[in-house]
Amino acid sequence: MQLDYHRPRTIEEALALLGEVEGAMPVAGATDVWVNLRAKKIAPTALVSLREVAELAGLRREGTTLVIGAATPHGVVEDCQEIAAEFPALHRACSSVGSRQVRNVGTVGGNLCNAAPSADSAVPLLLYDAECVLRSRTGTRRLPVADFFKAPGRSALAAGELLTEIRMELPGPRTWSGYWKHTRRKAMELPLLGVGALVALAEDGETVAKARIALGVAAPVPIRAGDAEAALVGQRLTRETVEAAAKIAADGAQVRDSWRGKAWYRREMIRVLIPRVLGEAGAFGNES
Amino acid sequence: MEKIVHFEVNGVTVSGRAEAGWCLLRVLRVELKLKGAKEGCGVGECGACTVIVDGAAVNSCLYPAFEVEGKRVTTIEGLASSDGSLHPIQQAFVDKGAVQCGYCTPGMVLSAKALLDRVPDPTEDQIRTALAGNICRCTGYAQILEAVRSVSGEAKP
Repeated sequence: MQLDYHRPRTIEEALALLGEVEGAMPVAGATDVWVNLRAKKIAPTALVSLREVAELAGLRREGTTLVIGAATPHGVVEDCQEIAAEFPALHRACSSVGSRQVRNVGTVGGNLCNAAPSADSAVPLLLYDAECVLRSRTGTRRLPVADFFKAPGRSALAAGELLTEIRMELPGPRTWSGYWKHTRRKAMELPLLGVGALVALAEDGETVAKARIALGVAAPVPIRAGDAEAALVGQRLTRETVEAAAKIAADGAQVRDSWRGKAWYRREMIRVLIPRVLGEAGAFGNES
Repeated sequence: MEKIVHFEVNGVTVSGRAEAGWCLLRVLRVELKLKGAKEGCGVGECGACTVIVDGAAVNSCLYPAFEVEGKRVTTIEGLASSDGSLHPIQQAFVDKGAVQCGYCTPGMVLSAKALLDRVPDPTEDQIRTALAGNICRCTGYAQILEAVRSVSGEAKP
């Protein structure tokens, strides 16, 4: 294939190339881009590799904010014990993408920019109210992850824009979260359904102060089940209240038949997995 | 766009011709005649093309050739000693009957090596996770896992 391949060292260089080179697209780990290129689903005339842009990769803390460089491989998140402890749903999701070989190069940012409805990292990022930072040559803007997915395969990235960081606040005390990737086999598989849930209890140790329920492959883009969340807030955190909320989430999901699973099955598993995710996260039995 | 990429393979500095649309697998097999890595699927799902780049197992079929500039690559050809004696992981695969057609073997051995170099005494779960990206159609995996278990918990060269 006729292709140019550039390796900028800074964000400025990368943005300049994206702005000036006709038909250029950014690439990080290449695990999606390369496959799509070979299958002729995309036909850029130039690739702007982000792998040498040190500013784009790595995990850091700014006070209580976790900042994930967009070009951070999933494997780096997988190997990070702090993220496993503080953002368990994100840790589980990133650790489940593809295989170790894929996770060693494929990036969190790339997973979002590829914008598949099945993107594993998206569901936990919705739970943690994460924000995407987008940079262009003219400035910077921030978007909640919820607004980053526009349609299957289409993100909110404008031409000449780069996703540079994903930012999220450390969850407060009395918070439990988890992610379940529902698959037909144990590895090297896209989810047929992704279920994430987070609850935070109020100071009384009983009442749900905050609830997040996020679903992948239950709509054209990863979504939050707002009605189900609202049904939980202000309630006592019990299996019954969670199961009632899970039913609301299941009934409201825009699931479809696909070759990985039928709509009825996805709907049923949303109902089953939300309580299971919270149970496994240790959310029940914590009433003070 | 074409260039010469300079990198290290199995401890030796090499240079190979590469085009922008080539993957590392092609550079290794076609330019450097290192045929150990195999193209099983070409889309990063089977692991037969696995090599180690800067300590990390990667699918060389998806690794853009231009990215290998300045990197240290280990292929299966780099494991045995110069006197021909096998690396302990290779020997374990032989001893445990973990090689049938042999097509998956280079990738399996390198995925195992990448794990053991980082985690010398892995749990069963860590072994399975490390090999999850390598498909074997012959053995049913039992002997492969047995081979990797047998060299876990030992210091290796």
